[in-house]
This record gives sequence, structure tokens and C-alpha cells, in this order.
Amino acid sequence: MEFTPKPNAALLIVGHGSTENPDSSTPYFDHAREIRRRNVFGEVHCCFWKEEPSMREAIYMIDADEVYVVPDFISEGYFTQDVIPRELGLTGPTTQVHGKTVHYCDPVGIHPSMTSLILQRTDEVAPGVPQEESTLFIVGHGTGLNKNSTKAIKDQVDHIKTLPNCRFADVIDTYMEEPPFIADWGKLAKTPNAVVVPFFIADGLHSYQDIPVMLGFEKEEGLAASQKEVFRRNPYHLQGKTLYYSAAIGTEPMMADVILDQISTFDAQHVAH
Amino acid sequence: MSLTKVLSDALESGINQIGQLRILRDPLRLHHIDDRDLDSLELHTDPDDAREIGLYTPDGGYRFTKGELSLKTGWIFELGSVEDLRRTIDLFYPASLGLWNAWKNDQIQIQNLRDKLNRQTGMYRHARNVSDEGAQELVRCLCGPSNKCVKKILWKIDDENPLEDSEASRFNGLVGDVDESTAIPMVCQEACNFFVAQARKKSKEEFEAKDQ
Repeated sequence: MEFTPKPNAALLIVGHGSTENPDSSTPYFDHAREIRRRNVFGEVHCCFWKEEPSMREAIYMIDADEVYVVPDFISEGYFTQDVIPRELGLTGPTTQVHGKTVHYCDPVGIHPSMTSLILQRTDEVAPGVPQEESTLFIVGHGTGLNKNSTKAIKDQVDHIKTLPNCRFADVIDTYMEEPPFIADWGKLAKTPNAVVVPFFIADGLHSYQDIPVMLGFEKEEGLAASQKEVFRRNPYHLQGKTLYYSAAIGTEPMMADVILDQISTFDAQHVAH
Repeated sequence: MSLTKVLSDALESGINQIGQLRILRDPLRLHHIDDRDLDSLELHTDPDDAREIGLYTPDGGYRFTKGELSLKTGWIFELGSVEDLRRTIDLFYPASLGLWNAWKNDQIQIQNLRDKLNRQTGMYRHARNVSDEGAQELVRCLCGPSNKCVKKILWKIDDENPLEDSEASRFNGLVGDVDESTAIPMVCQEACNFFVAQARKKSKEEFEAKDQ
């Protein structure tokens, strides 16, 4: 989707962040840097639930009178529907806050253009591996508390399967804590190859440790010796198959496109021209 | 007025410090106040490098509270514009310039602790049950230069309850023995999410203590 530059507006990317994992906020800053490089906004800022600047502080950083807020989250849910609107003082798609016009977009994870990103990531992590002989696994957390995150992944899987450039023998949604379990990947894949893409914005304990343990190439005890190395030792030969393991989808630099697409979608739906 | 202009005017008036950062002009440079031999410092020109520098303490710990007095030394930024300086400062001390500007123009919105805790939902809704004594203890233990943060606290427990006297409640947001006319104070307009998380834990401890 072609993006119309907004030189007089600010973009505020909202992320979760962490007080325990320093890598947690890295993707958001990378997304912001890429958008800044494209010079399509007057200002680009990040803010967080758990890190600084908080959502309560972020508005003070912004000069522009018009602000687009994009939740850099993989799905709708408690954060996008309750926490973010509460913390930023939003009451609808567009709210006046501290004298600024603030537009609230949908989260990145539910935009159809996430699908292209997932396929791009599979090309990067398993270059030259025939898709016809491969099963693509998209992994989410899965929890009874948040049906929306499971829905986001199921929607991505359904969408990928419809794409003419998708030649994967199978595309399966899997989860850490509910069926179909990613730990069963060896039984679920009927192909000699498997490509696994974690559907998270940031890398952390799930992608560094938990999922590798469930896939079978990391031991349970302690952290991986070098956390990012789990993504660099591809391919893994396990259970008679060849497995390619990707970093969290949010670490893909072209997430910037999805953020901009979500803003374009907002404008098409809400902003009068 | 843009924050870049606010910063530029501040530099013109003699401001040369914020937190543990020293600002030099002609050319525009930024370094740790504890560093003296500028020629020995690692040179940076990209504002984005500031995030990586401020991410870890000197002994490798994760520095998630940016106001902590644990910023590493050994680096210097040479910047081409006040806009780049603003961005670099915002990565070391997020929102500090904007909060200071709003505070000095009487436009800052301060939220007292009880109002902050009372609007929490989900797992943090129990934080509101922390006692006043518990809340005061948290301010003494978490806030202030000896603990997690060198911001000047603008908020109270509630309208009737100011913060009890402590290093944290007295702190003026300026690091070191500096002339107030040469440094930008860092200010805290409401308790942070880390404080809220600790209030939740404290309220749980208090509840369990009552139960026994």
C-alpha cells in the first residue's frame, strides 16, 4: 500500500517492553528507525507499558498537533482494548489529548500485510529449501486468557494458504500452551522440512529458550549459552527431519511497512478527505 | 514552540547538564559528567547509539530505569544539530526534556499515587490496596538517587498526604552539586509502572501479614 507522507504529524509506536529482558524493546526502536529513515513523518517516537518512556510520558515528547498511535502488538486484546486507551487517555478512533488530535490505529499483528512478512521471513531463514517439501509452523503463546492472540495466528494461517505464492505443503498454527502444541511439530509435519516462525514482536525467553526446548534442540536447564545463537545454527536435524528456526516475526525490519499500512487503513476508514 | 527550540534556547542561556549528561557547544557534544579526558572517549555520531549505551550498567545489569545513577562512562557524542542532541537526550532520559518544559510552563499533569493506583486494572488492580505507610516506604526504597531514579517527585500519596521527608522526596532532579541555572532538572509527574508493580507486591505482603 502506497503511504502518503505526513510531515506535520507524529507517529507514536506503542510496545510492551520488559523490566527483565533488555532485548524486548529492541524491535520497536528498529521499526521506528526504519520509518524515520523514510522521512514520512515529522516525528517518530516509541513508548512502552513496562519501559521508558511510558505511555503517560510520551505525549510530552511530541511537538506535532496530530499523532498516529500504532500498537506494535500481534493481536487485539487486553492491552490494545484496555491498557493503551486508558494510559493515553483515548476514548475512540480519534481523541483530543493535551490539545493534540490523537488517532488510534489497529495493532500490527492483525493487518493482512503481516502475511507477506511471514513469507519473507521463511525465505530468509530457509533459503532455497523447496516449500513443496516443507511445513510452515507459526507459533504463538496460546492461552485460555486471550482468544484474540490465537485468532490472529489462525487468521494468518488461513490467509497464507490462500496466497498464490505460497507453495508450502502445509501451514499450521501451533502454540506453546494449547493444542496444537509446537512440541508435536515432528508428528504434525508430514514433510522432510519444517520452518518455524514465532509470532511475537520481540525475542525473549519464549523464542530463545522455551520454544527451542519444545522443538527439541535446547536443554531445559538454564538460558541458552548465547541467546541469539539459536537462530544462527540452522538447520537443525531432529526427528528425521530438517528444521529451520526463525527469530520472532517482529524482528523483521519490514515490520515498518505493516505499521504504515495500519495507518493507511485507519485513514481510509476514519479520516475525511 | 518545538522542544528543539526550547533546548536550543536553554543552551544559549547557559544550560550544560541534564542528569549525568554534560552538554558542550561548538561543536555540539554530549558526554558523561564523570569523564574528563575527552580525547580518550569512544566517539559516536548516531543518536540511536544512546539506547545501547544506556541499556546496561557498568557491571552488565539491565538498566530498565533510565533515571538510575548507573550510566556507563567512556563515550562521547558529536552531533550535527540540536535536533540530534534532543533525540540523543531522549534516548538516555526518555521524555525528560518535554516533562521539564511542561513543568516550567505549568502545563504538566501531575497524578497523585492513589489516583494512579486506583485506575489500574487486571493483575495490577490489587496495587491500590497498599497502605499509606507501605506506599511511603516504597518511595524511600525505590525512588531517589540512592535507589532507582534521580527524578524530582512532583506527586503526593494523595491530596491530603504529602510524601514523608526522605532523600527521595527532597531530591531536586539535579545530579551533583550544580548551579540550578546550568542544569535541567528531571521531573516525575506520576509513579512509574515499576513502582506500581512493587506496590502490588507490597500490598500482597501486607495482606498476607494481616492474615497471619
